[in-house]
Amino acid sequence: MESGLGRSSETSLKASSSMASNTSRNTDLDQQGGHFNSMDQSCFARPSQSFPAFSPLFGVQSSSLYLPDDNEAKIGNQFEPNPSLNNPTVDWDPQVMLSNLSFLEQKIKQVKDIVQSMSSRESQVAGGSSEVQAKQQLVTADLTCIIIQLISTAGSLLPSMKNPLLSSNPAVRHLSNTLGSPMAFGSSCNQRPSSNNDATIPDITKTPDYEELMNSLNSTTQGESDELMKCQNPCGGEGSEPIPMEDHDVKESDDGGEGENLPPGSYVVLQLEKEEILAPHTHFCLICGKGFKRDANLRMHMRGHGDEYKTPAALAKPSKDSSSEPAPVTRYSCPYVGCKRNKEHRKFQPLKTILCVKNHYKRSHCDKSYTCSRCNTKKFSVIADLKTHEKHCGRDKWLCSCGTTFSRKDKLFGHVALFQGHTPALPMDDVKVTGASEQSQDSEAMNNMVGSIVYNFPGSSSDDIPNLDMKMADDTRYFSPLCIDPCFGGLDDFTRPGFDISENPFSFLPSGSCSFEQQNGDS
Amino acid sequence: MSEEVQRYGGSGGGVGALSLDLLGQVLDRVREPRDRKACRLVSRAFARAEAAHRRALRALRREPLQRLLRAFPALERLDLSACASLDDASLAAALSGADLAGVRRVCLARANGVGWRGLDALVASCPRLEAVDLSHCVGAGDREAAAVAAAAGLRELSLEKCLGVTDMGLAKVVVGCPKLEKLSLKWCREISDIGIDLLSKKCHELRSLDISYLKVGNESLRSISSLEKLEELATVCCSCIDDDGLELLSKGSNSLLSVDVSRSDHVTTKGLASLVDGHNFLQKLNAADCLHETGQCFLTNLAKLTDTLTVLRLDGLEVSASVLQAIGEGCSNLVEISLSKCNGVIDEGVSSLVARCSHLRAIDLTCCHLLTYNALDSIADNCKMVECLRLESCSSISKKGLEQIASCCPNLKEIDLTDCGVNDAALQHLAKCSELLILKLGLCSSISDKGLAFISSNCGKLIELDLYRCNSVTDDVLAALANGCKKIKMLNLCYCNKITDSGLGHLGSLEELTNLELRCLVRITGIGISSVVIGCKNLIKLDLKRCYSIDDAGLWALARYALNLRQLTISYCQVTGLGLCHLLGSLRCLQDVKMVHLSWVSIEGFEIALRAACGRLKKLKMLSGLKSVLSPELLQMLQACGCRIRWVNKHLVYKD
Repeated sequence: MESGLGRSSETSLKASSSMASNTSRNTDLDQQGGHFNSMDQSCFARPSQSFPAFSPLFGVQSSSLYLPDDNEAKIGNQFEPNPSLNNPTVDWDPQVMLSNLSFLEQKIKQVKDIVQSMSSRESQVAGGSSEVQAKQQLVTADLTCIIIQLISTAGSLLPSMKNPLLSSNPAVRHLSNTLGSPMAFGSSCNQRPSSNNDATIPDITKTPDYEELMNSLNSTTQGESDELMKCQNPCGGEGSEPIPMEDHDVKESDDGGEGENLPPGSYVVLQLEKEEILAPHTHFCLICGKGFKRDANLRMHMRGHGDEYKTPAALAKPSKDSSSEPAPVTRYSCPYVGCKRNKEHRKFQPLKTILCVKNHYKRSHCDKSYTCSRCNTKKFSVIADLKTHEKHCGRDKWLCSCGTTFSRKDKLFGHVALFQGHTPALPMDDVKVTGASEQSQDSEAMNNMVGSIVYNFPGSSSDDIPNLDMKMADDTRYFSPLCIDPCFGGLDDFTRPGFDISENPFSFLPSGSCSFEQQNGDS
Repeated sequence: MSEEVQRYGGSGGGVGALSLDLLGQVLDRVREPRDRKACRLVSRAFARAEAAHRRALRALRREPLQRLLRAFPALERLDLSACASLDDASLAAALSGADLAGVRRVCLARANGVGWRGLDALVASCPRLEAVDLSHCVGAGDREAAAVAAAAGLRELSLEKCLGVTDMGLAKVVVGCPKLEKLSLKWCREISDIGIDLLSKKCHELRSLDISYLKVGNESLRSISSLEKLEELATVCCSCIDDDGLELLSKGSNSLLSVDVSRSDHVTTKGLASLVDGHNFLQKLNAADCLHETGQCFLTNLAKLTDTLTVLRLDGLEVSASVLQAIGEGCSNLVEISLSKCNGVIDEGVSSLVARCSHLRAIDLTCCHLLTYNALDSIADNCKMVECLRLESCSSISKKGLEQIASCCPNLKEIDLTDCGVNDAALQHLAKCSELLILKLGLCSSISDKGLAFISSNCGKLIELDLYRCNSVTDDVLAALANGCKKIKMLNLCYCNKITDSGLGHLGSLEELTNLELRCLVRITGIGISSVVIGCKNLIKLDLKRCYSIDDAGLWALARYALNLRQLTISYCQVTGLGLCHLLGSLRCLQDVKMVHLSWVSIEGFEIALRAACGRLKKLKMLSGLKSVLSPELLQMLQACGCRIRWVNKHLVYKD
């Protein structure tokens, strides 16, 4: 049976080349839908059960009410001043329409067969829940396919209805809210699984909700890839999020919920799951699976997959609806139970944006894995915090002798002025030992260079002055009136290639007149 | 004096019978160091007395420093500014074991090799330290300041041109040394308003403060105005300070006696007027090169200072005769006035000024081109006490004017006649001023041996003589000078190109000579140089630039005899690497050498010579071409020893 079902979907693939992309997506969605419904053991016959097949398409999932924003954005996008690409009337072709309808017919027949076979077995097979489930999935997948095809076909017939409907009816924007519950379109569809297209279309066109649904579906058929992405990963939602996903100013936005005192009922609370919060990439390419942090980057990437992604509309930024309709006040909840930012908390304080959620979750409930390379003590879980810290780390630590540190010099000086006996501590005070050893290295280097010159700083032995005193005996050589001979210790340097050796370097020396000549010969 | 001493020393026992205390008293009255040295040398008793009583020590080399510090337990003042190749190690070594309980003042000016370790040792071994001078230790920074701050009893500190000192170092000092009375922060460009603010909160005893060339603003003056005992304030070239700052300053306690706002671009007469209004006991006001015009309010306020104001500098100001008259009427007690480079100074103005200010001792009229005989005449008539007269570039003054000055001002000690076109006759009159110490006759090409003969026979006290570009001067002048002016310390003979070796031979008898400039004397050779350096044991600075006939022989003579030589210019001389090497290797006090365009010296010659002198050199001037060919180790080593090299970006000139 399973193989037969697989074949049926294959045939549907072959049935119409124009539908190919749709079906392939639907199989995709189908799996998701199955996943989401896997807990639900009830059978297909229940009218509402078919609906979840749709829900993944819109990202309506468990408690996620994120969608409204999302769709809103899409609507705006689709009714941009340049709708010609979206306008199906341009593509109106009776041939295509005919093939679509025949495909629908075929498809409905197949589904009918499967459902019949299921209903016949239903009484007998009680334990094969997984099998039933698989079939159920297939049915929903096929139904989805049918609906999409139906809508796209019908949509091409009704271009003039969109604008007035949308602009006059704000309810459109809340479509998916209502979709979450069994209602008009979905149920009507299921109540009449075998009904023909002619009957459904007028029904659907009457409801604005349907219009909305159609729009979003249209957009998917146009290959608006990130639309689907949103559905898969509804909580990533960066593309539709008004706040750009920048790493700056995270701190102030983190505590977004703190300052405002919204009455508990006045906003919608969303809660993202941990995985979604921590997902490194939120935009995936549907063709090759590559992940991106930004939607814009994904759109750039998509260009490589074909010319259809190179159109200005595909590349354009999905902008917000400009019709100044105030979005419902949305606040976010932290998925960590017991956290004050979790909606179950008695004194729940919601988070303002997704960015706040991300930063809050990382800061409060994750390991601090980024360590400052400068001080090696401060740890951060948000990389932006680390960068902020590194900007100031060590540089402007103004330290008083009492141990108090200040971020600003004038504050330190004010402190020093106030307290008797306090002095600013020089940064070098801490590294006294290392400084001294450096110095002694210097002097060693000099010893090497100047041959036998005894030139020891007190550095290495610190304040050991008697030690120096003894050294003074050797110093006499250094003080000898003609201290040239120690200098000849370094003569080896002179033979290095940098010098012009063509002439004798000591040509100025009178021949044999002094001991320099011999030393020179030695070297 | 030395004869007297020899007599006592000869009898030996007579001096020895006196108590050390008495001998100490005697020595205290011997002013000249050379005479004191003679005393020490001829009598053990004097040597013992000196050892027990000596208060001040100026070390020229580091080698004997340790012995000297132990030999003079009563030292109070220690001057290490000229001590060659002094560094942390040698200073710490010299200080260890010496009893320096009495040392109160230490001067370490230009001791570039001394860092915080040396200062730590110094402060630790001198518990009663009251004054430290670190001026021009360009490498000194906060650590050095912190080391000095350990001397809690410090009253005076100069950090002038310690380029590394910031607010932190200053804070260390002001917290560590609350008794500070005198502080110079000139050129410490890193210090800001915050540091000055802390200074004025912590050091209430401050009497003198120098914040010249700092980037501080009016806020600093607001803080400074809270210092109740401040008497002296210098804010030279503080371009962030303006009239508002001076007004803030004027609201402070009425304690200021001396203010220097010269070269502060944003200060006008308005600010000065308010300052003068707030500080009624001002004695010195230096507003040189910051004012462009005088406001009436300034002049009226200045008149309120009649009783106190003694020094007024208005260089570069546009002054008319009426302004000078107003100043004369308002400030009749002036002792010193400077009108250098003032536009519009005419005879009439000077006459009306000096008519009221009969106490003037120093008058600077540099570049007041319009002045003539009449101005000098009225100065001579009114200011009988005048000691210093600067008339550079006043080319219209005649010999008659100088005659008048010479006959009426017997106290004249310093006169600058550079570029005044004076002649022998004028010098004959000037020779009446037997007290003359400083005489500048540069660019007066008409003076000859005859005129200078009058000077040398009458002005026996002369200390400084400037004969720059007096082309007519010959060897005879030097003979006359060597006979008449034995006290000469500074002599400038640049471009007097008639001078030969025989003339220099006479200079050898000027035992006091310390500075000698012989630039471009093309006829002198090593023979002349050797006769100079053999006689002038105290020679410290010698300029031989463009003396094309000087060769290695001259350098050998310098190396052999000029043991106290500290600064030397031998650019363009025809010396070789061997001579240079020997010179730099031998002279243990040499710290500053200018050796540009030594075309006969090979790179190796420079290398060896510099290595020989490495620890001692503090300043070098060389062709920048050498920068890349000298070994980097050498340059590093020079830097480590506190030597600063000035690279001259010129092409090497070959001169046969």
